[in-house]
Amino acid sequence: MTALLRTVGLTKAYPGVVALDELTVDIAPGTVGLVGANGAGKTTLFRIMLGLTPPDSGSIEVAGVDVANDPIGVRTRLGFMPEHDCLPTDQTAADLVATLGEFGGLPPRAARQRASDVLDLVGLDEARFRPLEGFSTGMRQRTKLAQAIVGDPQVVLLDEPTAGLDPSGREEMLQLIERLATFGISIVLATHLLDDVQQVCDQVVMLDGGRLVTAGRTDALVETTGTVTVDAGGHTDALLDAIGAAGLTSVVALDGSVAVSMSSDDDLDRIVAAVAAAGLPLHRLTPRSRSLDDVFLDRATR
Amino acid sequence: MTATSTGAVYDRGYRPYDGPRGGRNEARRALWRASVRRALGLRRSWRQKVFPWTLLAIVSVPAVVNVGIAYLTRDTVAEEFEFITYREYVGVGTALLLFVALTAPDIICPDRRHRMLPLIFARPLTGTDYVVTKVAALTAIVFAFGFLPHVVLFVGQAFVDRDGSLTYVRANAEFIWQVPIAVAIVAIYYSVLGILAASFTNRRAIAGAVFLIVLLVASVVSAVLSGGDEEGVFSSMWAVVNLLALPLRVRDLVFLGEMAPDGPLGGIDGGATAAVVTYLAVVGTSMAVLLRRYRWIET
Repeated sequence: MTALLRTVGLTKAYPGVVALDELTVDIAPGTVGLVGANGAGKTTLFRIMLGLTPPDSGSIEVAGVDVANDPIGVRTRLGFMPEHDCLPTDQTAADLVATLGEFGGLPPRAARQRASDVLDLVGLDEARFRPLEGFSTGMRQRTKLAQAIVGDPQVVLLDEPTAGLDPSGREEMLQLIERLATFGISIVLATHLLDDVQQVCDQVVMLDGGRLVTAGRTDALVETTGTVTVDAGGHTDALLDAIGAAGLTSVVALDGSVAVSMSSDDDLDRIVAAVAAAGLPLHRLTPRSRSLDDVFLDRATR
Repeated sequence: MTATSTGAVYDRGYRPYDGPRGGRNEARRALWRASVRRALGLRRSWRQKVFPWTLLAIVSVPAVVNVGIAYLTRDTVAEEFEFITYREYVGVGTALLLFVALTAPDIICPDRRHRMLPLIFARPLTGTDYVVTKVAALTAIVFAFGFLPHVVLFVGQAFVDRDGSLTYVRANAEFIWQVPIAVAIVAIYYSVLGILAASFTNRRAIAGAVFLIVLLVASVVSAVLSGGDEEGVFSSMWAVVNLLALPLRVRDLVFLGEMAPDGPLGGIDGGATAAVVTYLAVVGTSMAVLLRRYRWIET
């Protein structure tokens, strides 16, 4: 399978700062979260992926195309949604998206049809003939997403797509991104919001100061931690006593619930039996998994 | 009775595109079309259309007047009327300058002001494509606005000529190649300078003002350096410094084969060569600066 992104020793330095430092990753097609704090190198990596900035050293392939050899060819396969506001005020959404579709090589008639389709897809069907000047932040973000996919790209680069959105707008944008993934479009989502990544991405690349922190499948990174959370409706002390009496180890109290380290699946039966024997109500018994925040903090500080 | 609904709601979803897809050349053409549309106010509000089309009407007035008077006097014994010559008509200065001053910023400043360049350069376009296409778009419009009135003048004169259309065409055949070349020389020059001025600022008004001021200052400097005799005639090699009128000197070369005798370079040895070299240097340097400015695109 052709890799979505393959880099070997990719390095890019600006005066006084190393934006990317010997980055080597091999990412399969899918929905990829590119996470890191501001200055981690996300935008630089996007610029290099688009062929707009040459790396100082190393190699990079996007969708099987060597960016250094064929930057124009790469751009015919990519869609890009910048983080900042980049829409003119005196055009309609339909006109802008169609025009950018034409810039991407679509014939004028096809571009207009595609613009109509993708604006409908992102929920701007009725607003598409209105000037962008009157659009809300959410509508502008959707317009930016529409222009990124108007050319039916293989890969879409989304730079902080939920920036500036209220909670409902953010949720809608994430649902749109999830929906795009179902259409077979690979997505690279650059963000510093790890919750967004955990919600929609099946792979993660974590950067810190231009260096690779870790990369892999999201579900593998947030795999279970070998502990379960037991909630007995707030009877924490009684619960601690019961679990301790059952001979289970490493019992830790947490916000009214209790985290119990497990050595085998049989321990689940012992927990249930202990709670029942103590006459406590068992409200919740769930495996604990790490969040991406835990993973990032753990590995970035090593 | 129950009404039967015939309507239906469809979720069209996402349809992959498997039709024809152009590459860099198609992207360039699309950028050119979009720039021309913008300059002419097409797909924009009526306010944006007023200026370019009013200007086209204004630059056509001399041709219409010339043809009209020729028509009215065709059956009289009056001498053939010539309100304006083809040479004079190339570069009807103020109108075209004003057009470039207002249009060049309009097709290049908003891209930077609205930070649209990342959207444009995420497509199969390079900085060179962008600069060349923008200059080509403005040149095409200025050329059209300079050339169409000539067509009106030529065709109109041919129709009303007292000796017949064919006679007029034969007598003026050289203008068929001279006019487009001369108009192109003027159009390229002003377009390159207009786009160059607009590339230094995001504000359209400032860009237009800088374009006009630089040309006017250059003409004043040229006049001062040239001195002038008692009759106020300026005849000096310093005339090439007059960036405002420089393309008109080259225009004279196209029509007359030499510098106009009554012009500031008339009768000066090497005047024609100096005009051409300066013209090429100004256009070449301006293009080089423009390409340099768009070599690195900031996202």
